[in-house]
Formats: sequence, structure tokens, C-alpha cells
Amino acid sequence: MKKNYDVVIIGGGVQGLSLAYNLARGGVHSVAVLDKSYIGSGASGRNGEMIRSAFGSREWIRLFDRSLQIWETLSRDLDFNVMFTRCGYLVLASTAEEFSLCQPNIKQQNEFGLSCRLVDAAVVTNLIPALNPRLVTGGIFQKDGGIARHDAVVWAYARAARRLKVDILPATEAVDIMVESGKVAGVKTTRGDIETRTLVNAAGAHAKQVAKMAGVELPLEIFRLEMIVTEPLKPFLPVALSAPHIMGYMHQTARGEFAGGAEPENLSPYTGLKSTREATQDMARKFVLLFPGLHSAKLMRQWAGVVSKTPDRGPLLGVVEEVEGFILNAGWGGYGFMGSPAGGKLMAELIISGEVPTEIRPFSLTRFTTGDLITEPTIIGLAEDSA
Amino acid sequence: MVCYCQDLTEEDLIRAIEEGYDHIETLKRFTGAFMGPCQGKMCAVNVLKLFAHKTGQCIEDLRVPTMRPPVEPIPLGWLATEIARGKDEEEL
Repeated sequence: MKKNYDVVIIGGGVQGLSLAYNLARGGVHSVAVLDKSYIGSGASGRNGEMIRSAFGSREWIRLFDRSLQIWETLSRDLDFNVMFTRCGYLVLASTAEEFSLCQPNIKQQNEFGLSCRLVDAAVVTNLIPALNPRLVTGGIFQKDGGIARHDAVVWAYARAARRLKVDILPATEAVDIMVESGKVAGVKTTRGDIETRTLVNAAGAHAKQVAKMAGVELPLEIFRLEMIVTEPLKPFLPVALSAPHIMGYMHQTARGEFAGGAEPENLSPYTGLKSTREATQDMARKFVLLFPGLHSAKLMRQWAGVVSKTPDRGPLLGVVEEVEGFILNAGWGGYGFMGSPAGGKLMAELIISGEVPTEIRPFSLTRFTTGDLITEPTIIGLAEDSA
Repeated sequence: MVCYCQDLTEEDLIRAIEEGYDHIETLKRFTGAFMGPCQGKMCAVNVLKLFAHKTGQCIEDLRVPTMRPPVEPIPLGWLATEIARGKDEEEL
């Protein structure tokens, strides 16, 4: 750890590490990444590993399709196998209404030239015969979507960043941010003070708390998710699948385990990382309903993760006007993993050039004061939020 | 053989630690130890001992990966029907 860096990033998750790598690639080598625990200890190592750009709004499609393009070559770029598998991503429609809601989305996706197509119930059933036919009316299938191994992505970015002389500092917690006459001056950590003029908040679930250290209030709320994984099973789920009807997302791992999560109907005030019996049973019920064959599959383990979300569920990307040098890469909700290749690359462009890349411009903090919120129709769970 | 679920040998674990997976949580994620069907019940002590020895730490001071439920793998159907039964009882 040095006494000063050009850029300090709080949060050694996949976003912070991707940013550090991209900064170093762009010529900024004096970069430190701080994490209060081990790297990837937060949501980066706890998520559902799924990747798509098949969203419904122009803003989300533009950002996540940039990411998807980078995913294609990420293993080669980072010289580390992140196990990106382009197995396809299906957003399932389970009712007639859900199917009709696919129409405007596919139109938008086609305008952007995404590899998406609207598929009917017969195609879906043929693709995944194990699905409960009562919950299949069709869906949107993105051929280029897929999955990657979340931990491998964290390690790949960390290794590539280290090779480019980035200092990655686990077990180094940021405890205060020094601001002098409206500008970032440094950060106090549990291992001493660091001077810097550019400080990035990539603290995931803790981003709100980190911003408070700089006197900045962010419109973020901690959101807790749980996931389960079964013992290895014969291949039955060839694609990454999200099922808005049960607010669930799932895939089968390379080892054959079925791994999935479903958002609860109600946000619990509990934000710890212990798994809860309510969530286990809720997920068991939903997954057995969707895949009757999972009735006899054995639940092997269950875990929880926390993320932060904004009122419109889009991330917070860009500068904070009130504190010069304080930059946000936060509020990704459940989409920070799939968005990390583009998130890090675009935020690095912003820091290096001072110009805001088109893809991230709509995701500025100011949208919550100007009211230019982003309406993304395909977010799992959002309908329930507003209902 | 240290971990029977994931076929991990002593050498596999030592190589992983030397590769830089030198935190028990990253070692767990990299090798899959603690994460197979036995959920660490067969391997934990051996893995921790080896890890402590290799990294020059005292086994008592190690952070032990969280034991996740269930203790024994159980069919999802059991959990799903328990909910259904609970609901029926409420309705009665």
C-alpha cells in the first residue's frame, strides 16, 4: 500500500476490479482497490451468474449489449478462463399477458440488432422439455446470452489488474473519506490514510454507507437475495432461464448442479447473510412448480447476498457534482455481474477522458433530481415493487 | 485424497494456495472443497489443517467457511410440500 494513488476504488468486487483493470489498460497504473474482506466476498461471488442484453429499454439494452460484446472475448483478453458459455438466455412467459408483454420488448431488441427472437410455447417446450407446460406460453430467447463462473471473473480481473501494477488490497476497510473545500482529498482506512483526488464508490450493498462518509446521500436501498443449489443432476436445463412469473432465475452449472434464486414477495428488513427458512421453502415451492422433476432433487446448499438498488433499478454511474473527484459505480441491483465488463470499461473511459460515454449517460445520479427515470420493463420483481 | 466430493488431493490444494488462492474462502471457491454433497462434513478438518500448515497459521485462528443449510441434502419436494401443507392447515 502506497501513501497516494491517482485513483482509489472502494470495493473489490467484480465492478471495482473491472474498473481497475480498465484504468490500468488505459494507462492509469497508480490505482488501488480496497476491500474490507477478501476480493469478491460480496455479491460478486453470490450471484446467479447469468448474462443477457435482452432488456426492454434503449438505455439498458445499450449498456448491457456493450457488456455482452466484451463477455465474448473476456477469457482471451484477461488470459484466464472465466467459463463464459454462450448457451442462450430465455426470458420465459408463463401467462397470455406475459407473452403479450414480450411484443414491445422484442421490437426494441430487434431495433438494436440483438440476437433475440420471440418464441412460442412449442419452441420453449422443445428446448426445455422439463418445464411445467402449464407455465409456458412462450418467451424471448437471446441466442448470445449465457452464463459465466462468477468467482473466476473476479479472479481474472484481479490477476490482470495486478499484472498492470494495480494494488489490490483485501482486508482494508475504508472508514472515512476526506473532503477538502468540496474536493476529494483521500480516504482513511483500517490500514492507514491514502491520499487521492479520484475516489470511486464501487461498494455494492455498502455504497450508500460509503457515500455518507463523503457527506453524499444516495437513493439506494439494500436488497437481499437468496439462492439455492442442488446436488448434480443429469443435464435438463440447457440455457440460462429467467421466469418472471415466479420472480426466479436459474441455470445448470457445468457440474450439473441446478442453481437458482427467486426474489421474495416482500422485502425483509433483515439484511444479514444468513439463509432463512422462509426463503428456502419459497424457492423450493417455486422451482418444483416450474420443474416438477425437481421434486426429488436434493437441495445441497443455500446462501444469501446483498446488493443495493435505486428507485428505478438502474445503476448509478458517473460523477457526484457536489464532491469533485467522487465517482459512483454502484446501485447495480442484481445486474452488476453481467454488467461488469462494460461498467468497468466505460467508467474507466469517463475517468481518463473526463467525457461521459453515451452508454452510461442516462444512469447519472442527477436523474433522481431531474426526474428522468429509466423505465426498464423486464426487471425481475419490479412490477411487484410498484404494485 | 482430501475431498471426496470434488476429487481433491493434497497436491491440488497446495497448488491452489501457491497459485494465490490463499484465503480459506477463495480456496473454497477455487477448489470446490466444502461445496460438494458432503458440504464439508468429510473434508473440512483435513482441508483446514492443510491450509493452516501451508499458510503458517494456527488452525484455531482460521475463519471457518459458513455451514449452509441443510445439514443433509434433502429433496426440494419435501420443502415444497411442507409449505402446501401449512397453507391447507391455515385454510382449515
